Amino acid sequence: MDQVPLAVSGASILVGRSGSMIRDGLLLVSAVLMALTLWMIFFWVPTEANLGVSQRIFYFHVPISILALSSIIVVAVASIIHLITRGQRSDDLAYSAAELGAVLATLAIVTGATWAKPVWGVWWTWDPKLTLTLLLWFIYSGYLMLRAYGPNGSQGARYGAVMALMGAVNAPIIYYATELWQTAHPALLVGPAAESGSLDSDMALGLLVSTITFVVLAAYVLIERYSLRRSETAIDALYQYVG
Amino acid sequence: MPYINMLVNTHMGRLVMVVLALAALSLLWAGNVLASDEGEAQVDVVAQEQDSDPEANLPFLFAVYIITWGGFFAYVFAMSRRQREIQRELDALKTVIADKESQSRAGSAEL
Repeated sequence: MDQVPLAVSGASILVGRSGSMIRDGLLLVSAVLMALTLWMIFFWVPTEANLGVSQRIFYFHVPISILALSSIIVVAVASIIHLITRGQRSDDLAYSAAELGAVLATLAIVTGATWAKPVWGVWWTWDPKLTLTLLLWFIYSGYLMLRAYGPNGSQGARYGAVMALMGAVNAPIIYYATELWQTAHPALLVGPAAESGSLDSDMALGLLVSTITFVVLAAYVLIERYSLRRSETAIDALYQYVG
Repeated sequence: MPYINMLVNTHMGRLVMVVLALAALSLLWAGNVLASDEGEAQVDVVAQEQDSDPEANLPFLFAVYIITWGGFFAYVFAMSRRQREIQRELDALKTVIADKESQSRAGSAEL
């Protein structure tokens, strides 16, 4: 019986917390960085000679795509920790990262299609990189559907963890798709396989600032979602107690 | 939703809103600057036309930025709604648990 008031007060703290210093700081920093990013994109970086202004789409598309790929890695790492420790916090982190990853993968596909239309003349083509990214979106969707409609409790968490581990294999394949196959997608600009000097220095700086901005913004959203997920877990525990 | 209240009521929240408003204004201004160089942008542009009009794809550029911001705001809004629901559920559960505990205390006092 002593557990319940503790759970209630714990949930109250999670639900009623008006935001830690970290979250407030991340929100403020992301807002300032976003203003700087927009200024750089529209006034500072040069216009690409062949693609024109549509090339500026990649200052949003590339960071979002990187984060969509990174999210499945976060989900997989958290899932491994959950499978080893059976801790609730790691499962909550995995679920939160999967949900954010689904949003980011959706944005990556939509922004990519919006770039493709003026440049390639089509919204979508079954290019290996695009197809694998769509597969990543299905993996996120499948994970979330499994957690929503699959077994409850620890069994559902374990099934989800295994699915996340299988899905994470897709991430490096997406990254190296332009190296592995002949694709219409532009060559790698960031990461270990990118050719040095493939991007103008001003454009590279713009892309770096934009990437940092989206990383901070995604970190803020992930912490918010994790906090909400912890609240949901506490509420579920209370429902089980009340019956 | 505590974060909406925080945005409206706190000093830092207002600062964030001002920064976002400035960002939106700079976006609009930038659009006008870029668009004024080449005239009104054409929506139905294909790849072959880019050489003659490199800034004709502005609508696609703005569409991407609107979609990205819209996506993030929609997600945060959905989270805020869920947060409100959880607060309501928590209040209801507190009442149920308090009733249950008072009943169990009354039962033990009768014994």
